[in-house]
Amino acid sequence: MSLKDILTPFTAWSKVVKEPVTIKDPLNREAAPRYRGFHDNDIDTCIGCGTCEAICENEAIDLVPVDGIETKDGDSGLRPKIDYGRCCWCALCVDICTTNSLRLTNAYKWVDTDPDNFRFVPGVDEKDWYKREEGWRKPEPNYEFYGLKRVEMGELHPEEREDSFVEMIKGYSKEQAEAEADRCVECGICTATCPAHMGIPEYIKAIRNDDLEEGLRILYDTNPLPEICGRICTHKCETVCTIGHKGDPLSIRWLKRYIADQNPSEKYKKILETDILKKNGKKVAIIGSGPAGLSAAHYLVLLGYEVEIFEKLEKAGGMMRYGIPEYRLPYDQIDKDVNYILSLGVKIHYNVTVGKDITLKKLGEDFDAVFAGTGLHLGRSTRIEGTDHENVYQSIELLRKITQGEEIYVPEKIVVIGGGNVAMDITRSLARLQNQKYGKVQVIATSLETEEKMPADREEVIEAREEKAIVNPGWSPQRIEIVDGKIKGLHVVQCLSLFDETGNFNPQCNMENKNFFEADMIVESIGQGMDVSYISEDIKEHLELGPRGRFRVNDYFQTSLPWLFMGGDTIQGPDVIHGIANGHKAALGIDKFLIGE
Amino acid sequence: MKDLIEKLTEDFKISDVVYQRPDLAFVTVPKGVAISLVTELRDFEGFSHFVMMSCVDWIEEGKFQLLYLLHNPKTKTDVGVKTFIDRENAEMASAHHLWKQVWTYQRELKEAFGIDFPGSPRVDENFVVEGWTEMPHMRRDFNTKEYSQNTYFPRPGRETNDPAEYMRKKLYPNEPITAKKQDNDK
Repeated sequence: MSLKDILTPFTAWSKVVKEPVTIKDPLNREAAPRYRGFHDNDIDTCIGCGTCEAICENEAIDLVPVDGIETKDGDSGLRPKIDYGRCCWCALCVDICTTNSLRLTNAYKWVDTDPDNFRFVPGVDEKDWYKREEGWRKPEPNYEFYGLKRVEMGELHPEEREDSFVEMIKGYSKEQAEAEADRCVECGICTATCPAHMGIPEYIKAIRNDDLEEGLRILYDTNPLPEICGRICTHKCETVCTIGHKGDPLSIRWLKRYIADQNPSEKYKKILETDILKKNGKKVAIIGSGPAGLSAAHYLVLLGYEVEIFEKLEKAGGMMRYGIPEYRLPYDQIDKDVNYILSLGVKIHYNVTVGKDITLKKLGEDFDAVFAGTGLHLGRSTRIEGTDHENVYQSIELLRKITQGEEIYVPEKIVVIGGGNVAMDITRSLARLQNQKYGKVQVIATSLETEEKMPADREEVIEAREEKAIVNPGWSPQRIEIVDGKIKGLHVVQCLSLFDETGNFNPQCNMENKNFFEADMIVESIGQGMDVSYISEDIKEHLELGPRGRFRVNDYFQTSLPWLFMGGDTIQGPDVIHGIANGHKAALGIDKFLIGE
Repeated sequence: MKDLIEKLTEDFKISDVVYQRPDLAFVTVPKGVAISLVTELRDFEGFSHFVMMSCVDWIEEGKFQLLYLLHNPKTKTDVGVKTFIDRENAEMASAHHLWKQVWTYQRELKEAFGIDFPGSPRVDENFVVEGWTEMPHMRRDFNTKEYSQNTYFPRPGRETNDPAEYMRKKLYPNEPITAKKQDNDK
């Protein structure tokens, strides 16, 4: 080794007082227009679904809360934070982004002495490159990592179903279900919106893995009526589906039905491991076998309670059986869900009306707790002139009679007042009966709400029209014309708005714009009320009332009488899935009340 | 372009012709004739400029797809010659004798996909990654995420949130929870 070799390293010390060699680019060169540089994120469009984080091969993305962004239905409130020590600029995060909010700008130069500054939340932490339009965006259209179009569901053609109560939706095949499940990005944004908070991404994953037994177990964790919900759930989850931002939302409801349909009822107990259930020696009475009552019964029996249901009618299911037509929800599918719950040891007393055949007080004495899921079974009337005529009916009453096989009055011309799903149910049921009787349909459904604001599901309106019913919304009923004791029709005027400035129901009409719908029979379908005649006065005086005339309950659906719990349509909803969620939580509340934490 | 490809179709067993643009077409040929076709295009059809060479991993089919992209400076047209080779013990006849820069492309493909080009100069030398001991990193079964987890330490202070779990805590902390969440909480 020479002397030079020894001394040379020490020459580096001469640089110690020099300026650093890292300098700003003196030429200030622009990157190419599609160069992939630092991120930008439109935080108002972003929903914090986390698919960017999930796809990142370098674990460069975290999802973090951001001030001013609220967690709400359809938005987690989180936003991506990038670690540029790991980012490799591959832009997979941009290409998977379900809302197209994320992009890469073509900014690539940034000098900073603090490494922690190279972690930031794009779109939130201020950076001067956000104003650049250049950079990488997801090319549109047809550049997606998942299918934008949902797998079409087979259904009976209108001419095949217009005079029949046969189920119209055919259900997915294995190939169809797996293809549809494959569109899910597993973000879980939908779970919060589902009233029962079902494990939606988890059961969709089970379909993808062709593990339908696992799928069934996931369904029953939060929902003991999957055949029913798989057909008629209001599927609020689909309204927030991440894929729905740029394409069709996942068919979550049909996928749930697929799992339930594919698992035979005789294997349920084995799959769900409910062959043997321990008893805790306590008894709970349930009033009503609708979704809330059945759900409460299911979870209570799993917790070890002896459960007895008191049902006013001759079969179980409540509004699901007596309010929803068979073409939407076949009775054998209701039976499949109900029979499984009964097979767990739940007893049911049919044709027993609480308040008449047995008192609520007696139930309170004989049982450790009572859950009332009595539903909304009283039809509401418009109370316009002529509604006391014998051929003016309540939809709920007619739907019940159709289920019970009773012959109902079906004239040639019918008008239905109402724009909700129940109105569509009775309209379509009557259209079928008219078709069977006369070979033609002449039923008109009219509502205060305009087409855009009708509360009925859009598909219900479309299908009603396919079945030749007329849906003519935006009219306010004024009076029923009766001549010589016979109904001639309904006089209406144009409805301009439903609510006043303070949000109160106060319809405003254009009295000059009149219309007349000919009819031999009028059906009112403007909502239902609760029947609380089963609660005697001495009990009622101990029950506190909450908003909108409903009984006040706590988070566990416990009333101010500790042994009495209430849930379902009388408290929340009205819909099946709220009833199921209420029943589940009430079961946990009863357990907490009787056993403690 | 169409005339040219029709002329060559029979001799070179051309299939799957894609006319991408008036000045760009892709053809697929069997492995055994791919280099012959590239040579024919260079020596007799004016495609004297070698643009680039690349590979796609068709893991489901057990194949690699090689692409040779050639340019004809006179007609200003491009032809892409594609061929499939087995993924297992992947090997392809070398084209280094046609253009010198093919050396470098073949060296890159050896490193990134593990495809051997016997006789290609310096083909076994490192291209961009030094001391690489994992499987070739552009193969689709290379687990990039696992590699980055095992290789790079997480920056202190990083934390993230699962959207569904975060929404549960924010919006319905006391509601019954799903199977997955119960398992997680246990």
